[in-house]
Amino acid sequence: MSHHVTSADIAIHGDHLDNSKVAKAKTLALGVAGIGTLVSLLGLFGVFGQWFQGTYAYSWVFAYYFFLTLSIGGVFWTLLHNVSNSGWGTSVRRTFENLGSTFPWIFLFGLPLLFPQVNQYLYEWMNIHRATPADQTLSEHLHHTDHLLYAKKWFMNMPFWFGRIIFYAVGLTAVIWFLRKLSTEQDTDPNPGTERLFAARKHSTYTLIIFALTITFTGFDFLMALDYKWFSTMWGVYLFSGSALNSMAVIILVCTFLKSRGHLKHVCGPEHFHIMGKLLFAFTTFWAYIAFSQYFLIWYANITEETSYFLIRNTGGWNTGMIFLVFGHFVVPFVVLLQAWLKKNPKYLSIVAVYTLCMHALDHYLIVIPERGVSLGNLHVKDAAGKVIVDGHKIFGEITPAIGHAFWGDILAFVTIGAAFLFVLLRALGQHSLYPNRDPRILESANLSN
Amino acid sequence: MSTTRKRVYGYLAEFKSASALYKAAEKVRDAGFRKWDCYSPYPVHGLDGAMGLKRSILPWFVFFGGVTGCATAFALAYSTQVLIYPTIVQAKPTNIFTIPAFFPVMFELTILFSGFTVLFGLLGLIQLPRLNHPLFASKQFHRATDDGFFIAIEARDAKFSPDATRNLLAEIGGENIELVEEEDA
Repeated sequence: MSHHVTSADIAIHGDHLDNSKVAKAKTLALGVAGIGTLVSLLGLFGVFGQWFQGTYAYSWVFAYYFFLTLSIGGVFWTLLHNVSNSGWGTSVRRTFENLGSTFPWIFLFGLPLLFPQVNQYLYEWMNIHRATPADQTLSEHLHHTDHLLYAKKWFMNMPFWFGRIIFYAVGLTAVIWFLRKLSTEQDTDPNPGTERLFAARKHSTYTLIIFALTITFTGFDFLMALDYKWFSTMWGVYLFSGSALNSMAVIILVCTFLKSRGHLKHVCGPEHFHIMGKLLFAFTTFWAYIAFSQYFLIWYANITEETSYFLIRNTGGWNTGMIFLVFGHFVVPFVVLLQAWLKKNPKYLSIVAVYTLCMHALDHYLIVIPERGVSLGNLHVKDAAGKVIVDGHKIFGEITPAIGHAFWGDILAFVTIGAAFLFVLLRALGQHSLYPNRDPRILESANLSN
Repeated sequence: MSTTRKRVYGYLAEFKSASALYKAAEKVRDAGFRKWDCYSPYPVHGLDGAMGLKRSILPWFVFFGGVTGCATAFALAYSTQVLIYPTIVQAKPTNIFTIPAFFPVMFELTILFSGFTVLFGLLGLIQLPRLNHPLFASKQFHRATDDGFFIAIEARDAKFSPDATRNLLAEIGGENIELVEEEDA
């Protein structure tokens, strides 16, 4: 480093984003999100007919969970920064917190999934539960119809499911709200000490458990439950690896954006991008390790309940996507990110970050969407009297690998929640100083060398 | 034999602190010396930049070591499991598409060969292990493992001169400047 950063270089009243400069982008994002949400809600509740309702429910889960991983990852990096007593990341920590603070807003987009009108197309186990005849208890009904669901009833039952949803929403929101408040209050404290630093470290320990439960069990409840017969012990950690990787990609993009606007001056430089690039590299490898481990366990054990996942995805056109994932999500970024000079250059690193996010979208598309064709064509929703309410065969036709034209809905859902994500992220960036200017470790972080 | 002439290794100069060492290193670098080194009890961040060290060639050794390991493992697994003695388990075929079964071996040998190239490549590049080093002849040099910060400029360097180099070291804050001669064999 050519210049040693001293306290004279730190903006004493903080480095604030000029809200008028991003007002246009925010308005546009809010507009797109608003219109998109309105159309989506109408579609999800059946205004455009059952075909759109059913196919769009899958689009919604795909887009919703994609952006949820980014928000949850923001919370993860905040927690990890605090709990590891990290000195390097102080100047970019606010970006972690800002990204994490989008969690409650993005989580709201999961609300439609709570309604039977939507989740009847997604989660078959709920349909079977709801079809319990009036003269039978749930256990008796499951015992007669599906032993697997009978055995899984302690976990897969509606009251517990709703309870878990409330836990995710309240738990992680409280964690990030508290940590962000702790951090931003320091910015204006005339006597900034170390109390908040130590408090953040202390409270980040046990709250990591809340984070781990949230990323694991939202994955179980929203994605793995798309096929209640299927299970994978690698599922939680698989989603976590993608989440940590791609939230770091978003953090890199945000930091590059802020630097290009003249912010984070003196405190965030090539050394910080180098470390963030190394984390991107590490989690690229970690994702591949976990993704392969999951595949390998299922391939070797060859159990019918488990192989269904890859039977759907490794045949036909989906297989092209899965093979592309191996090279596109792992081999290419692995080789590219080996370069040290590239990781130190915000521009080039941002290109890799955008690419990584595209691969993450493909990854999540392949998690959710192949399930659509096989589930919807097979759908028989019955009410408690045994009457068929939704006959999938009539609405969606034969069981098929992919339902034609349904991808327009995928794009709509992705753009809608993506615009909302952009809006809440820009809003969070504008709320406080862009780096913790009175943090005891800000100079240590600014003078980082690695 | 005390009458034989000793070979001169170079100048050794002590510096007060890590930051003094860092600043002195920048000046020695700018003076254009190539065969010289810094000695410090602990790693000094950014000293490699101050010394003008180029990036090590070691990563390339490791990369090709890893690629060799990966290819070796693939050849081993493929020749034994597909060509020589195919083992049919659960009716799974044995061919190139059963490559997932080879992955653990490919992964392990990639790591093993990379690890070997790191270790032996590093030892080769820094020329270790060795029985002795000329600097051990200096009486003050043992403090480099305790509280001493040193710069040694070798006599082999093209820019080395008995007077100018000594003056340079004194100019940039070096103390206890000593002409180190190699000990008798």
